Amino acid sequence: MILEKRAQTPIETRSYGKFYIIFSGILFLGTMWAVWDEVRIRRPWKEYQSNYHEILVAKLDSLQNANVAQLDSTQVMQLDADLEQANAKLDSDEYKKSVSAKTDLQKKLDLATREWRFARSRSDASYYEYKKSIHEGKEDAKLKKELDNHDADIVKFANEMDDLNKKIAEVDIVINKYKDIVDSLTAMKTKMFAKANAVGLKLERARKMPVQIKQVVLTDFEFTPFNEIKARVDRCQTCHAGWADELMADVPQPFKKHPMPELLAKHNPEFFGCTTCHRGQGPALTAGFAHGDEDHYWETPLLRGNDVYASCNSCHTNETALKFAKPYVRAKQIMLDSGCYGCHEIKGFIDLPKIGPQLNSLPTKTQPEWIFRWVKNPKEYNQRTRMPNFKFSDEQAEAITAYLTKIGKESTYQFAKARGGYTGGNATTGKQLFEAVGCQACHTLGENHVVRDSRGTSYDIAPELTRVGSKVNADWMFDWIKNPRHFNPETRMPSLRLTDDEARHIVAYLVTQKDTRELPAVNLDLNSTDKIARGNKLIREYGCAGCHNIKGMESEGKVSVSLSDFGRKKVEQMDFGDTKEVPHKAAEDYNENSDGSIAVKHTWAGWVRGKLKNSRQYATERIAQKMPVFAFNDEEVNLIRMLLLSMTKDTPLPSYQRTFDKRQQDIEAGRRVTMQYNCIQCHSLEDRGGYILPKYEEAAMGPPMLPESQGAKVQEPWLYGFLHNPSTIRPWLQIRMPTFSLTDDEISKINKYFLGMSKQELSFRDYAATPVDEKYLTPGKKLFETYQCAKCHPTGAVKLGGAVSTSDLAPNLTMASSRLKPEWIIDWLHDPSKLQPGTRMPAFFFEGKAPDETVFNGNADEQIKALKTYVWSIGAKRKSPVAMGN
Amino acid sequence: MKVLAIGIVTLCLLSSAVAGDVTGKVSFDGKAPAAVKLKMNADPICMKGHPTDVYGEEVVVNKNGTLKNVLIYVKDGLGGKTFPAPNQKLVFDQIGCAYKPHVLGIQLGQELEVLNSDPTLHNVHSLSKMNTQFNQAMPIKGMKITKKFDKVETFKVKCEVHTWMGAYIGVFSHPFYAVTGDDGSFTLKGVPAGDYTIEAWHEKYGVQTAKVKVDAAGKVTADFKFKGN
Repeated sequence: MILEKRAQTPIETRSYGKFYIIFSGILFLGTMWAVWDEVRIRRPWKEYQSNYHEILVAKLDSLQNANVAQLDSTQVMQLDADLEQANAKLDSDEYKKSVSAKTDLQKKLDLATREWRFARSRSDASYYEYKKSIHEGKEDAKLKKELDNHDADIVKFANEMDDLNKKIAEVDIVINKYKDIVDSLTAMKTKMFAKANAVGLKLERARKMPVQIKQVVLTDFEFTPFNEIKARVDRCQTCHAGWADELMADVPQPFKKHPMPELLAKHNPEFFGCTTCHRGQGPALTAGFAHGDEDHYWETPLLRGNDVYASCNSCHTNETALKFAKPYVRAKQIMLDSGCYGCHEIKGFIDLPKIGPQLNSLPTKTQPEWIFRWVKNPKEYNQRTRMPNFKFSDEQAEAITAYLTKIGKESTYQFAKARGGYTGGNATTGKQLFEAVGCQACHTLGENHVVRDSRGTSYDIAPELTRVGSKVNADWMFDWIKNPRHFNPETRMPSLRLTDDEARHIVAYLVTQKDTRELPAVNLDLNSTDKIARGNKLIREYGCAGCHNIKGMESEGKVSVSLSDFGRKKVEQMDFGDTKEVPHKAAEDYNENSDGSIAVKHTWAGWVRGKLKNSRQYATERIAQKMPVFAFNDEEVNLIRMLLLSMTKDTPLPSYQRTFDKRQQDIEAGRRVTMQYNCIQCHSLEDRGGYILPKYEEAAMGPPMLPESQGAKVQEPWLYGFLHNPSTIRPWLQIRMPTFSLTDDEISKINKYFLGMSKQELSFRDYAATPVDEKYLTPGKKLFETYQCAKCHPTGAVKLGGAVSTSDLAPNLTMASSRLKPEWIIDWLHDPSKLQPGTRMPAFFFEGKAPDETVFNGNADEQIKALKTYVWSIGAKRKSPVAMGN
Repeated sequence: MKVLAIGIVTLCLLSSAVAGDVTGKVSFDGKAPAAVKLKMNADPICMKGHPTDVYGEEVVVNKNGTLKNVLIYVKDGLGGKTFPAPNQKLVFDQIGCAYKPHVLGIQLGQELEVLNSDPTLHNVHSLSKMNTQFNQAMPIKGMKITKKFDKVETFKVKCEVHTWMGAYIGVFSHPFYAVTGDDGSFTLKGVPAGDYTIEAWHEKYGVQTAKVKVDAAGKVTADFKFKGN
């Protein structure tokens, strides 16, 4: 209608005004919106930053108020009043007069100084003229007189200056009398307000903070896949603005302070950026893109929770202990314990010993029926064994048993005859010994699982012995515990130096530990060559030789894929079999459905979680899976997954990497030896381990912790001898330090590890030649008596029995000079529990005070030196100088 | 100042007006284990102080069938009330190679004077879990050291030189604790009116609890019974 009407109007008289207004209105609004969208909507970081500034200002403000409130108001008022009064006095006549007098004097002084300078110049000129006349042979007496006059002027003006300076100094005394009061009061006020002012300054700065992008640029951080240097830009701090501020400890993200300042101290974000460890998309400025959740093409999304520790592996691949990365350390330990490297090649897990025992002489140890059951499902005998379940069928298990029995029959291993077999033994004594000497550190038996619990892994580090009486035969067990290396030269199981009788008692006890379950009988055909050949094939196929030494399999390689770049495997390359899919948005990536089926998220993380939970679940009718089923708990699965996530070939350029110097290499090499022999099961080392300690009511009744200062404590040659053949140091301990039959190389590594940890250099030193300072020897002996050190420490051979029992004894001091480093004795006497928390040794010099004030006037340092000198002299024998080898 | 002083006095009066005593007895049922004879012969000086045999104090049953050395205290019910540490210090003596007292209660921040009355080396090693452990040697007769505790807990103290020597220290945030003596009775004095959980702790027989209601100026009884084996 309207258009029709409009069409009737002649073109010349039609008006377009309304259209112009409407369209220009739309254009205007559109432009406004575009501007708004550009500067605000698309830049959410601006709002974050303004919010941060608001929070910061509010926090500083309240801090400022608190600081001001803390000031004693009466004191402030008093000070202000005093200051006002002092300032008022500056108006007094005396002060004013003095100031104006000083100004006058200063003017006069300036004048006199000028005159003095002129006189000097004139004198110099006259002196030249006069000398010139002499040199020309006609000495001018007139010039001489002129010169003398000028010199007299110099003296005159100099005197005048002195005079004026003195007068000024006099006036200054008066002036300062007034000014000093004002100055000291002002200083007091500044001091009083220092804290508040410092906050005030911050507050002022916070108020003026501009809203801007904050970025860190790492110009030469890493290589591209084409081996070109690639830079990295991180803008995370634009929103995560409070990461370094103590005030931001309790505010919500993104402003919260970083929870691990210790880590940041070593990885300063201003140098390393944030994505180096946290991943995510550095240059992005919206949360979704920066964290990578909304950008599905971004390959390295933010690492959440413990997964962030995966980043440690980029640079710290070689290290197994990082002080501030406990989950990383634990993950590595789990992977090491579980022997993943038996089948997979893994970065950082190279050249490690096989984790399982040799399988070449099994018939001497156990019966074929037991082997069969074990091969079928190890967890059925020992729920917490580290051996995973290969889910072999009866036929497969029988074939493997047949092969193992066959090679076992060919074995040359025999029980050591000289020792005699197992006879007799008292089970009750055996039980006591088993519980005392240290078997329980690694082996759980029955209901006592204190050590297992404190270790906190889902698997045991050594076989549980609850049913061992039905597994191994007594003769074998006797031979084994007497010397484990005889049966298996590569075993980690140490010797506890049991006497034959002790070993017999323990065997007598262990053989009573029977499997009480009713097991179905098995009928095995072990002699068929077909079966043996099939067993051989299965063992090769399933890679048993990855963990066990098996005759005929010495040259087998790793049966599975390399994991060294597994962290970058694409989800498209992963086969999820028949598993159902958990939606992406769900919290959990693994679900056991009520109908028994399993669902996983179809992501990298989901696949790995599913694989580690049940390695066979992605199998289908056509695709077989050989990886055995482990029994990791959820925490372990997550830790292993974190470590797998870290398996990439990406490493930053060397300037961003930690320098792995000689000392650190020594430490790591020794640490690996201690891990191999599981030293931390008993000894707490580097904040780890000591798992056996909860067994004891008191720490001092268990194995000693090995503090960082261990290398500063014992002499290198002594440690060498001790590790070769341990001897009693702490007579009150029932648990024994085992003999591990370490090689010289291993001992040397442990020695250097301890030295490195305590920052000591390996030095060639003749400890026996430590000079004895005679000045200290006699007072030392006296103090030794006053302080009654011998009440606990024997100083010679000890006869046990009667009044003396081992529990009353402390280490024999005849050992001191051949065991300890002299400097360490001094540190020890200063504060024993600082070096060895929980030690039985009391502090004699608590807070640097000596109990006996008559020797060296009670000077604790001198007394300690004296005691050290005397202790060192006990049992010290001058030997021919001994040089120690490297 | 005066107002404050008056205020405090009235407060004290008021609080005493609404406070009562909890009294009771700790009886012992069953067979007491035979007292352990201490072998002091490892240190001849210890022997000297004791012409007759000495027995351990782990379980001491009094003649009237009550149990000695039981620590009784208010466990719960004081809410957020705080009690300043008393100025007077407690003495913890090592005499005749035994600790006197064998069980001791002390308040947070209160001074404990550890004394060695023996002419032999003693060391006091506290096996505390919450408070900082200490282990100090006292080689000279008459030596004294002073300690304070800042965490509530009951822990053992032992001597490493004389392994039979052991004692227990209970640290409390309030003054309502007592240790049973030769008649097995106890009194917790001046407990403010309210509902409380009272605990009785014994080093061998563990902990027992009782609920009591303290009325204004009332006397409440709470009896405990420990059973031997």
